[in-house]
Amino acid sequence: MNFVAALSWFWFMGFYLVQGTNWLWQCEDGYCKRDNSETEREGYSSLKICQLMCSNYLNIWPLPTGIIRSSKELININTRNSIFFYYNAPTETLHFLKEISKYFENQLKNKEPYSCDENLYTLKIFLSTDSAQITSNLRTNESYTLKLNSSGNEANVHIKAPTVFGVRHSLETLSQILVSHVEDGSKCLSTLSSIRIADEPKYPHRGLLIDTARNYLSIGVIKRQIDGMAASKLNVLHWHLTDSQSFPFVSTRLPNMTRYGAYSPTKVYTPEDVRKLIEYAEYRGVRVLVEIDGPSHAGMGWQWGPGAGLGNLAVCVNRQPWRSYCVQPPCGQFNPINENLYRALGDLYSDIRDATNDWRMFHLGGDEVSISCWNSTPEILEYLKGQPLTEKTYLDLWGRFQRKNLQAYDTAVGHKSSMVVVWTSHLTQPEVIQEYLPNDRYVIQSWEPESENELLTNLLKLGYKLIVSTKDRWYLDHGFWGTTKYYKWKTVYENPIYTPYTSAILGGEVCMWGELVDDSNIDGRVWPRAAAAAERMWSNPATSAEYAQTRFFAHRERLVERGIKAEGVIPRWCAENEGECQTYM
Amino acid sequence: MMFFGRSWIEFEELEERGRCGRIRMKQGELRRALLLITLLCAFLFFYLYWQQSNKYIPAAIYRFSHITTNYKYNNHPHISQSATPPPSRYLEYHLIEASPKQSQISVRCRKPIQPQWTWDCVNKRCERRYADDPLKATSLATCGMLCGSTQLWPQPTGPVTMASKALRFHHRQLAFESASLGASRSLIDEAFAVFNSNVIGLTEAPDYPIEGSDVSEFTVNIAVSNADVVKLKLKTDESYSLVLKASGKDGLRADITAKTFFGARGALETLSQLIWWDPYDRTLKVIKAATVRDKPAFPYRGLMVDTSRNFMSIDSLKRMLVGMAANKLNAFHWHISDSQSFPLIVPSLPLLAKTGSYAPDMTYSPDEVRDLVHFARVRGVRVILEVDTPAHVGNGWSWGPTEGLGELAVCVNERPWSLYCGEPPCGQLNPDNPHVYDVLQKLYGDLIELSGETELFHMGGDEVNLECWSQHLQRTSAAYNYTDLHELWGEFTVKALQRLTAANGGKRFPHVILWSSKLTKRPYVNKYLDKTRVVVQNWGGSQWTDTPELLSDGYKVIISHVDAWYLDCGFGRWRETGEAACDPYRPWQTAYQHRPWQLQRLDKRLILGGEACLWSEQFDEGSLDARLWPRAAAFAERVWSDPRLDAAAYGIQEDVYTRLNTQRNRLVKRGLSAEALWPEWCSQNPGMCL
Repeated sequence: MNFVAALSWFWFMGFYLVQGTNWLWQCEDGYCKRDNSETEREGYSSLKICQLMCSNYLNIWPLPTGIIRSSKELININTRNSIFFYYNAPTETLHFLKEISKYFENQLKNKEPYSCDENLYTLKIFLSTDSAQITSNLRTNESYTLKLNSSGNEANVHIKAPTVFGVRHSLETLSQILVSHVEDGSKCLSTLSSIRIADEPKYPHRGLLIDTARNYLSIGVIKRQIDGMAASKLNVLHWHLTDSQSFPFVSTRLPNMTRYGAYSPTKVYTPEDVRKLIEYAEYRGVRVLVEIDGPSHAGMGWQWGPGAGLGNLAVCVNRQPWRSYCVQPPCGQFNPINENLYRALGDLYSDIRDATNDWRMFHLGGDEVSISCWNSTPEILEYLKGQPLTEKTYLDLWGRFQRKNLQAYDTAVGHKSSMVVVWTSHLTQPEVIQEYLPNDRYVIQSWEPESENELLTNLLKLGYKLIVSTKDRWYLDHGFWGTTKYYKWKTVYENPIYTPYTSAILGGEVCMWGELVDDSNIDGRVWPRAAAAAERMWSNPATSAEYAQTRFFAHRERLVERGIKAEGVIPRWCAENEGECQTYM
Repeated sequence: MMFFGRSWIEFEELEERGRCGRIRMKQGELRRALLLITLLCAFLFFYLYWQQSNKYIPAAIYRFSHITTNYKYNNHPHISQSATPPPSRYLEYHLIEASPKQSQISVRCRKPIQPQWTWDCVNKRCERRYADDPLKATSLATCGMLCGSTQLWPQPTGPVTMASKALRFHHRQLAFESASLGASRSLIDEAFAVFNSNVIGLTEAPDYPIEGSDVSEFTVNIAVSNADVVKLKLKTDESYSLVLKASGKDGLRADITAKTFFGARGALETLSQLIWWDPYDRTLKVIKAATVRDKPAFPYRGLMVDTSRNFMSIDSLKRMLVGMAANKLNAFHWHISDSQSFPLIVPSLPLLAKTGSYAPDMTYSPDEVRDLVHFARVRGVRVILEVDTPAHVGNGWSWGPTEGLGELAVCVNERPWSLYCGEPPCGQLNPDNPHVYDVLQKLYGDLIELSGETELFHMGGDEVNLECWSQHLQRTSAAYNYTDLHELWGEFTVKALQRLTAANGGKRFPHVILWSSKLTKRPYVNKYLDKTRVVVQNWGGSQWTDTPELLSDGYKVIISHVDAWYLDCGFGRWRETGEAACDPYRPWQTAYQHRPWQLQRLDKRLILGGEACLWSEQFDEGSLDARLWPRAAAFAERVWSDPRLDAAAYGIQEDVYTRLNTQRNRLVKRGLSAEALWPEWCSQNPGMCL
């Protein structure tokens, strides 16, 4: 019975497939229009191919900042063991180059095998770089040039970049202009016969913040975020590792941290996990910026001080009513007057140093310190006895904490040349910042709203370097709690990263705070909006989101193809009928 | 089974020893020992892996063979031999769910779980403490079940009593029996199977040891007094009573009594919520004794999903049905087509999908729809197919001229869209073309057949743009004599209703649902729409006058107020002009607190219930789960339990947070990507985040 049913099912579907919807697309005024007419249809059989032919930018996301030129002739690539890589690079980089080549090849292989067999071109990719550098930092040159020429039966791609990171980005670009599609029943990988691209990012720090303390994120999910970042040429994963809710990093020197701080013994990151994740990120052009937030946003994990005879390492932990002592439960703040705290922090930093290999940049947090916590703690009041309990006193206390915290950190890493990042706060007000945070060590991450650009100007004037996370555009958690608003991709895209262009603005970060996301739903919150921010940080185009729309939809599809549950931002009909859903009045 | 259980433990112990060994190694020497232990580990790992992969498929079958062979049919034991296993698709569905567990096994091999936290019940709250003695630790799951809250969702409307003790049991001790022999027999069998796999789904891995169980057998008995009811109707009695208590020597027995299968299924759902996995004791537990009497506040508890703006796969819709079942929602309103696309393959009108679907693999075949309808019925859900007309048509309706039927739809893809419709692309049926009504009759016939629904039919009927018709009719219509085009709309609706009757074999459909619109307002509503037949789905704002007016005119309504129960809102405008920029997001609290019959003093007798709506302009199947859950669960308690709003406090009780969070975690266990309610710290510290 079942067999017959299955047979008739196949017959039916087969019939339907042959007879099925077979849209064609035509290129008109830079838009791919689906031909909805009933008869005499003509055009490209796939939207992607039409876009490749029709888009001035070959549908690349983020938009290359240099030249893009191409022919309008399609060629089919031979995919059967015929992609060849040639490396002209220092030996130190060869392993890296092989890894990124492998990653590139994996992008091309999706579910079904290619079956194209007409006029196939052999793809030869020549990668060349001079630098032996294989870890990236703020000064890494990420530019590249890509030239594709075809002749005879060969398509030769010449990629030149100062560093392997430029090479990686160029392979990302190449994977976006190699388009898989089905034509006349056979699946082909196609591109244009001649292409020139020169490209480099506008900002060196292009980040996504994830928060693994409010809710734990499993390693696989973090890797998926890194894949999305790689596809969008974001290069910094800001890992807000700990907060007052939980402490998931397994510290070898201080095993009590996770014992008292993790949600469960399985919801932790071991040093090995961190090491592997950093390696995974490296081959995707992403460096990991670890944040241990303090003096505020520290609670769970720090309760073991008294039991170990070290006194209170943190105060106000779990204190209720929480609204009086912190911005969200549970409360908790470091105890800045306990010298043991700095020893503990030093141990922790040593563990993180062991787990990470690049130690040039670290995030010390430093946001939302609650004075009402400290000034209701007897031992701190005792310490401050004799001083006036003014804001200045507390800022001094906080400033002292920053100094000692940085000392602990410098001791752990053995030098004083790394840069540390802190969030904007009372301590970073232009009037006081110089007293507490020297500008040769501290980078300031601004989460101020767009209206606070004056603050940024003042900080720039004082010689501080900035990372921008405009909270009324780039806080991806907004829109689901309190009176916050959701920022749709166009709002995210059109964030005018602060105006006077100076190299003191290192770049920006979109922030995915974790209160309302976990493994289940983080993809849809982050993607594709983080990709919209990625183009802002890579290309910083003068044009509006409307102008980027069709490329953006195509990039969203790309993310979905790579296994990321990116949100659909528009009816599919609009993506298939470019330009038809714009405003006409 | 036993064998694997044992080897599992041995493995864990060895692994633990291996870890200790490694620590010693670091301190000293003995590289050889390390190698040996690693090899041993590797060997054991492969051994276990091999056993696992070999075993997994049989395990699934085992579950079902277990169910069928353990059935006891009091009256006719021979039936157990012929009890049909569930359809194979269903099996696959659960196998897919089960597979991630294999990877968990390897994780666990690395890190054997040591209880870290323990919870004590203090003043009806579970307080978290560091577990100094892991052997005496109580898990949050166990504490939470025994600490003042019923943990049931939706909260039963009748009396609930629950023991404060738990029993350990093994899912293999479950036995199912039912004396019912009526037409609902096979539905009961399948509901048992669903229940059984839900219980197994709670476990970390199904091969935990049976030793240590407190019971000898756990029997679930269903007695249905009206066993002939196999289709859910508005009048179907969904009440049930559940008695869970000790029986005989060490036996445990759950007696479910219900008028219909649909009540009994709800009871199984409730029973499944009295069962949990204790991760510390590594066993299933169940409340020692309980009684529950329950019935819904409203007969219609719906969820609408739109599969036209963006396509949703059958699998994603099944996940939605799994979630509906878990929350005792009972109507899936499937807004299957719209002007953007027509994904349903209508057997008598294949051109609709052929010219209207996004792609050949973005369609629903008749068999897929029938299968989904059955999948839903087993879970107590009816499926209502809506092909919206006369507006909200377009792509898929342009083949009229080539088939000699003239223009079936007008304004299709017309620009500028903002003149002719609310969102692009435009399109509306052509009321002047008599062929349109023939086509509708064929369509309706197939929709009735596919959904098997004989009581409720949804005709759409919203957002008709008269400008579109007026422009079109100026050009072609002989009937261009209307001073008020609402009359044309009214006449179209009347004709369509006649065709619905014809398609239904001449039998009037008891209830036809229409979206609220100008036509469902005075004076048109009384002129064109028969109040004994038409049900109006109110999607306007809760402060609009629509609902009270309709009720006072005697119309039945389903409430879908946009400001509370539109789950798609809050993601910004996806086009620059046009309405329906329905920001902000409706958090679950808003959905939960919406009780218009109390706040506006509406007559509840004519309110069939409520429906939460999820339009799909701004998401596709990747985000379906997260858009729906847990908000649709919050809505579900509103329409099942309908707790009074406390006008004085106007806040949500702590117990609601606790129960909803537990329910959210159940949904995740059933494979749904439900959104997080809050930081996990708040789950682990009940009451501390409010």
